[in-house]
Amino acid sequence: MKTVVCKQEELEPGNMIEAKLGPIPIVVCRTLDGEFYALANKCLHQGATLSKGMICGAAAPTDTPGEYDYIKEGEILRCPWHGIEYDIKNEGRMLADPQRKLKSFNVDIEEGNVVVSR
Amino acid sequence: MAKKKKPIIDVDIHERATYYDLVPYLDNPWAKYITDADWTQEKHLPYPIMGIDGLDRADAKSPDGRPAGNSLSFLQEQLLDGVGHEYGILTSAMDPSPSSMHGFYGMAEALAPALNDYEIENWLDKDDRLYGSVHIAAQNPQAAVREIERVGDHPKMVQILLPIDRTPWGDPYYHPIFEAAERHNLMIAMHHNEPPSYYGNYPRYFVEWHSVMPNTHMVQISSMIFNGVFEKYPNLKLMMLEAGFIYAPALMRKMDTQYKYLRHEVPWITEMPSETMKKHVKFSTQPVDELSKEEFEQFVELMGSDEMVCFSTDYPHWDYDSPHNALPKLDKDLEDKVFAENARSFYPKLQAVGGKVPL
Repeated sequence: MKTVVCKQEELEPGNMIEAKLGPIPIVVCRTLDGEFYALANKCLHQGATLSKGMICGAAAPTDTPGEYDYIKEGEILRCPWHGIEYDIKNEGRMLADPQRKLKSFNVDIEEGNVVVSR
Repeated sequence: MAKKKKPIIDVDIHERATYYDLVPYLDNPWAKYITDADWTQEKHLPYPIMGIDGLDRADAKSPDGRPAGNSLSFLQEQLLDGVGHEYGILTSAMDPSPSSMHGFYGMAEALAPALNDYEIENWLDKDDRLYGSVHIAAQNPQAAVREIERVGDHPKMVQILLPIDRTPWGDPYYHPIFEAAERHNLMIAMHHNEPPSYYGNYPRYFVEWHSVMPNTHMVQISSMIFNGVFEKYPNLKLMMLEAGFIYAPALMRKMDTQYKYLRHEVPWITEMPSETMKKHVKFSTQPVDELSKEEFEQFVELMGSDEMVCFSTDYPHWDYDSPHNALPKLDKDLEDKVFAENARSFYPKLQAVGGKVPL
């Protein structure tokens, strides 16, 4: 199963676009380095549509209370409801509970098109 | 054949009036304070709200750009029709309460009637499914009673919304409000607004404040119980909004135990506090704690009643709970009670009007 989501240049780095792979709602995210990632467009918590949220960065885990180090700018997908954070480049894992991850899909660039498949 | 949808009565929906929406309902100088002086309530909470779109769900702005909860048609589309509500109880997003007025009580006394009129005209009279809360300026019980007398008989006003603030609600200072509630067949509800969570202070992090919201609710319930409010006003019932319900069993046990030791201090209390709570107090689910079916049932069992928990979404706020995904799949009897029947039995006026817009 595969689907053409958009032209490569239609999705700017730091942005995302929603699509469907057959019946499956997906979100294709483009990180600031230009790479594309396709994830299930449904929060693991209560099912909110993740593409209504935002792509942002996150505070890195630290041993020091009160210390903030913002990392992964453009690589975190945050849910529009409760704000749960997913690491786009790390298999869509939930930052607060990395055992849990969004389903991810293959992305290929074919003749300038962003193509998602499973 | 289509599966029959479960009935949903959502006890906490925040329709939003902007200050400018209230200007037509305000006399001067109050209207001019908004239009000419750009007045806004000072809020206490020191943190930003940590959702993507502040206080709101990031997908709840209406397509015409109005803030979340401000458009009836978009609320109908996204929530009432989208989910399939039977009824929803409006609790507004504005709070003319002592916590946010700092002594400027005249403004609160002007805002509360304006907000009620706005709510009736723009929401209650326009959708059969929506029922309302009477907003009051609680710091002036006499003014509050006048407002309850003015709008309390509206067929779709089902409760009085009370702010949680420094003076716990069992205090006799507030009792005229309860008398008025009984006269008009209104229930009362308390919704967490911005109460400090310890000794009048706020913790360092929002996550701490948000985790211990039940503290402030426990203070209010205990105050109402031990000050004998429910003995004095036997028809009064209390809905605690937006602290969940899993703290309830602990509070019930604690109060029963303490009552056995200290009954001599409160001899007007004539039954175990937990029994009074079962008859008079209900809890909204949201923000629901993540529970398995077995865990959910255990908490209900510890409460000793399956008639105390009522579903709520808190739409359109950032910690909205989905009616389809927030709770575990419950057995049908408990599911019916939590999602609809407990709320239906709580609001006598909801049963009386049955969803018809009054003529």
